[in-house]
Amino acid sequence: MTLPRLIFVTGKGGTGKSTVAAALALALSRRRPTTLADLDKRRSALRLLGSLNGDGGTKPFTIAPDLEGIALTPHAELEAFIERIVPLKALSRRMLQSRTFSYVTAALPGLEAFLMLERLRIMAGDAALRDRYLVVDGPASGSALEFLSVAEGVKGIAPGGTLNRLASGVHSFLTDGTRFGVAITVSPEEMALREALETAEVLKNRRGIKWIVAVLNSTSKPLFDAADLAALTPLKAHAHLALRRNAIAQYTMRAREQLKAAGLHVVELPTIFLPELGKAAAGQLADKLEKTLTHQ
Amino acid sequence: MKAPLDLKDHRLIICLGPGGVGKTTVSAALALYGAMEGRAVDVMTVDPAPRLLDALGLDASSAEPQRVPLEGLLDGELRKTARRSRPRLRALKLDPKATFDALVDRYAPSATARDTILENRIYRNLSGALSGVGDYMAMEKLLELHLAPDADLIVLDTPPASEAIDFLDAPRRLLDLLNSRAITLLGRSGGSLLRGLKMVDFAARTVLSAFDRATGLHLLGDVQGFVESFAGMYAGFAERAQQAGELLKSPATIIVIVTTAEAARITQARDFAAALDKAGLQVDAVIVNRIMPEIPDAAEIARAKIPPALKRKLSRNLKDFAALKQREMHALKDLRAGLSSKSVIFGAPDLGREPRTLTDLAEIARSLEVIHDLSPNPFP
Repeated sequence: MTLPRLIFVTGKGGTGKSTVAAALALALSRRRPTTLADLDKRRSALRLLGSLNGDGGTKPFTIAPDLEGIALTPHAELEAFIERIVPLKALSRRMLQSRTFSYVTAALPGLEAFLMLERLRIMAGDAALRDRYLVVDGPASGSALEFLSVAEGVKGIAPGGTLNRLASGVHSFLTDGTRFGVAITVSPEEMALREALETAEVLKNRRGIKWIVAVLNSTSKPLFDAADLAALTPLKAHAHLALRRNAIAQYTMRAREQLKAAGLHVVELPTIFLPELGKAAAGQLADKLEKTLTHQ
Repeated sequence: MKAPLDLKDHRLIICLGPGGVGKTTVSAALALYGAMEGRAVDVMTVDPAPRLLDALGLDASSAEPQRVPLEGLLDGELRKTARRSRPRLRALKLDPKATFDALVDRYAPSATARDTILENRIYRNLSGALSGVGDYMAMEKLLELHLAPDADLIVLDTPPASEAIDFLDAPRRLLDLLNSRAITLLGRSGGSLLRGLKMVDFAARTVLSAFDRATGLHLLGDVQGFVESFAGMYAGFAERAQQAGELLKSPATIIVIVTTAEAARITQARDFAAALDKAGLQVDAVIVNRIMPEIPDAAEIARAKIPPALKRKLSRNLKDFAALKQREMHALKDLRAGLSSKSVIFGAPDLGREPRTLTDLAEIARSLEVIHDLSPNPFP
């Protein structure tokens, strides 16, 4: 499978978005140097890999030999943008500290998100020059749709000028399958599946995003057949757990079929049965992802 | 200590929590529980996805409260209570934009003023989904339901938030925006407005104008127009916001955080609770949704008269789920450690399937229970 330079990971809350982003970055870094950019407020993906230094900062830092992390914040992007276009450095800093600017951003809430997209565009260009991969732990799918749609809104409000020009650049970046792709995480559950299908539909047909994969996470194979289950009737609690295992397997199959029927490429990841969801779990998922990505 | 499931003394339950934890399901279950106790209940969801209405078997398109059919759910004992009281459940989906428009309509001094606001570019942005206006409008609608006398209990399902305070703080934020003295910085004209400003304000004004020119936004004039058009309405908004603030702190109100036992969500729930505490609001309960069933005894497998191959499968399955249960227990302990002793932790069971009918919701409501082995010792 040809991978885009940047993979933006999103998904409904609880589907393992940050875990998958961390594992994906880990897997890709075994092929080529990779950067994991964390947009999540709580830095879950970076935390999972055990590498969060202080409040994160905005400078990249080393996680592993070929893997670096960076924590991005919308406010820092806005600050950088203003410093770029208004040649009064000390003053613009002071202005940002005052309530004045928060007032304008409250009125134009998309501005920070838009500047973040612009930043991702620049980072992807830089990654291409240095032949690196970029994995982004993005917002959950509801907010991600708004996030990825913000360029169009900006074009609407700013009919000319710098922002309009940037918006055109962001638009062609998002619709270029060699530069930008989205991985939607989905767990084998009805609501998560429905949301993933809706998200994929909007991104593909309305936002024109070319590269989309579904990462079907927390799956299981069926462990018990009908004869097993019949024999288990007297062991009530055990039978209950057996049914639970099989229910995951059944829903895995159903989700796989529906995702494929929607024309999505599906990558599957197993449930990690470990008492802690940390580095070890991310490592197991990365092994799996590495195999899947090499095979295709 | 308020007992969250003893709903009799309470009129309002606010459910806060991160996305994807089943907040909507839990809200609906709490509402249903209230109705099953024989009360007249309204449940309101702000979530743009029509999940709650789905679960309640209602049509998502209507903006009016819709009655949920309760027949068949009021079992024997509850039926007795029901005869003495007036069980009822209504569900309602909030449309933030429509609520905001209605509010402007109510407080605008004239039709012209109203139209100026509704057509303003900033207003149209502001009343969109991104800016937290949904939060403010939920509060507004809540106040409306609260002031109307026909519900005994109101359950509010809030939009998923990364910060609990986003929702509860919404009235203050909106007022700040409308009342900001920054308006004096944004005007095109000089004159009396500019007198009395500090040096730093002048500097900021210069930067803002440069920003406007460079970006091509021509935004600042619009912002000024927007704030000015709200000038006559500020008092009305401020009064509503104050009422909403009082309602939150009233003893008749219960604040509930809904979460799941995943480590990342627990961290978030703890942060929520800390932020609320700082704002002087007490979290009465944390409901941990999708609690796994207890892990059965491994010795039962050894004793059972079943083929060895099946025993091996069972042991593997048990070990796998025991690992997940252990993960859950760690998370719950972590949650307890981060909460005030006044907050009670409840568990809602994972049904092993997705709750999609009223019967499922009723089952969740009935099985809600305090997780005792975590609670701080009441007799230290």
